[in-house]
Amino acid sequence: MGSYIQEKIHKFEQFVDGHLKPQLVRVIAERDKVFEQQKIFSDLRMNIENLEKNSVTNLRTMVNLGSEVYMQADVPDTQRIFVDVGLGFHVEFTWTEALSFIALREEKIAGEIEEYTRLISSIKARIKLVCEGIRELLQLPAEKSLPQRVF
Amino acid sequence: MEEAATGGRGTVTPFASMFPASEAQKAAKRVEEKIGEKQKELDSIKEFVTENTNLINLVSRLPDELNHDIMVPFGKAAFFPGRLIHTNEFMVLLGDGYYAERTAKQTVEILTRRGKTLDSQVESLMANMKDLKAEASFFDVTASEAAEGLVEIREDYVEEKFREKHSKSDDKNNDKKVEFEDDEYARIMSRLDELEKEELEAEAEEVDAKDDVESDVEQPDAAENNDESDTDEQTDAAENNDESETDEQSDAAESNSESHDNTQPQATLSIKEPLLQKTAGALSNKYLPQQNITDTSNVLMQTPKSGFDSSKAFTGSIAESADTVSTNSRQQAVTSSQVITGSIVERADIPKNSQQAAISSQASKPAFDSSKAFTGSIVERTYNLPTSGQDAFSSQSSSSQPSKPLSRFKMRRS
Repeated sequence: MGSYIQEKIHKFEQFVDGHLKPQLVRVIAERDKVFEQQKIFSDLRMNIENLEKNSVTNLRTMVNLGSEVYMQADVPDTQRIFVDVGLGFHVEFTWTEALSFIALREEKIAGEIEEYTRLISSIKARIKLVCEGIRELLQLPAEKSLPQRVF
Repeated sequence: MEEAATGGRGTVTPFASMFPASEAQKAAKRVEEKIGEKQKELDSIKEFVTENTNLINLVSRLPDELNHDIMVPFGKAAFFPGRLIHTNEFMVLLGDGYYAERTAKQTVEILTRRGKTLDSQVESLMANMKDLKAEASFFDVTASEAAEGLVEIREDYVEEKFREKHSKSDDKNNDKKVEFEDDEYARIMSRLDELEKEELEAEAEEVDAKDDVESDVEQPDAAENNDESDTDEQTDAAENNDESETDEQSDAAESNSESHDNTQPQATLSIKEPLLQKTAGALSNKYLPQQNITDTSNVLMQTPKSGFDSSKAFTGSIAESADTVSTNSRQQAVTSSQVITGSIVERADIPKNSQQAAISSQASKPAFDSSKAFTGSIVERTYNLPTSGQDAFSSQSSSSQPSKPLSRFKMRRS
């Protein structure tokens, strides 16, 4: 009997360490990527709004050639902007078009983030559940105080 | 550990008991993992290298035209159609947020320098990986050997037997030697006593003017025997007996040079104490390995020594080990080795010793290459003299006064 419990506990632990935790790490990393996207687009939106506010028609900027070597670049016409719409495609927009696209994009990204967050919490819940199962198998007293906290 | 006695001595140990196959395999696996990590690092650095060479090409090509039509990045997700202007002006990051405005040519120079650094990094990583691979293969071999059931046979080397034989066969020779050395010792001792008196007088005069340690350093006699080392000992040995030791030592060295009795006045050495102390401190832990090398040179001297009282025997042995210094002195710029060269002339039995000394001095040399020319000479001397002193002392104490603590010098140094 004891050995059976031991085996069961071992299985549970393996499930947590070998499956759930790596999954959690992976999903968190994915969510971080989406966060980055969100930041990129919010930056872009702010920049475009800035251009609009100052009614900039041409632009001087520095281009990074790689390894932190920069060269001056000139943009004669800022009205047309090419925005990355995903999968390597860039669409030529005017400022207003770009802003509406960015709003849609941000909405989608927010949804994605929410989804990921839900996924993460569900994985965490599963980890918790398995840990509680192990605790039950070991017949430790802690389980009594915990039911209120169960999700 | 399984041990099987073979003929009363020696052990037979199965390899597997010392290095279980599974352990060795584990170790090999760990090393493999390390190799994997290094490989990743190497890959990323190689990526940098290719990036760098690409950039060099780009930078050298850009000034060919006045402007280039490009898509100017605007944030990470957007571009403006635009063009590069001022194609011969680059802003290059120097590090820490500082940028320099350079031309294409200068930028290429900077980038090639960066490339060189990267190359050296790649090289060192390669060497590292080579080492690790060797280690891994060693572990693998060990594992397979352990699995095959290899055994290690270990037998202690018994020195006494060899010694008995040696002394029997060389009886005559030894006797002669002892006689010769005894004679010489008597000579040395008488000379020693004389010089000691002289020096004590001289010292008494000089002590008036200067404080203890400095006077010792600046004494012509002491200086002649290049007493960087002696001073070293003094600084180490703090107070009491070091003075007498210094004197005795210098006397001993001098008595070796009886034939060259001219006591050439040398430039007095006024080295500052802290420096010496530092070098002595730095060296102190390097004396020990040296002991092994010079030890043999003192084995011969043990016999005559036991006849004298401890302090005399001690100086005697130092006089002997002055030979060690003699070879060294050739490599040194300081001319104060005159006394010691005398000892070379006198001694018929030193070729072996001096050879060893040469070895030891060679061994000591690379370690101090970095020190400056002047301190270098000091260091070399301090290196050998105290060592031989230590040797002499330890051999002395083991032969005639086993009750004394073996490493008095060591204790003092630490």
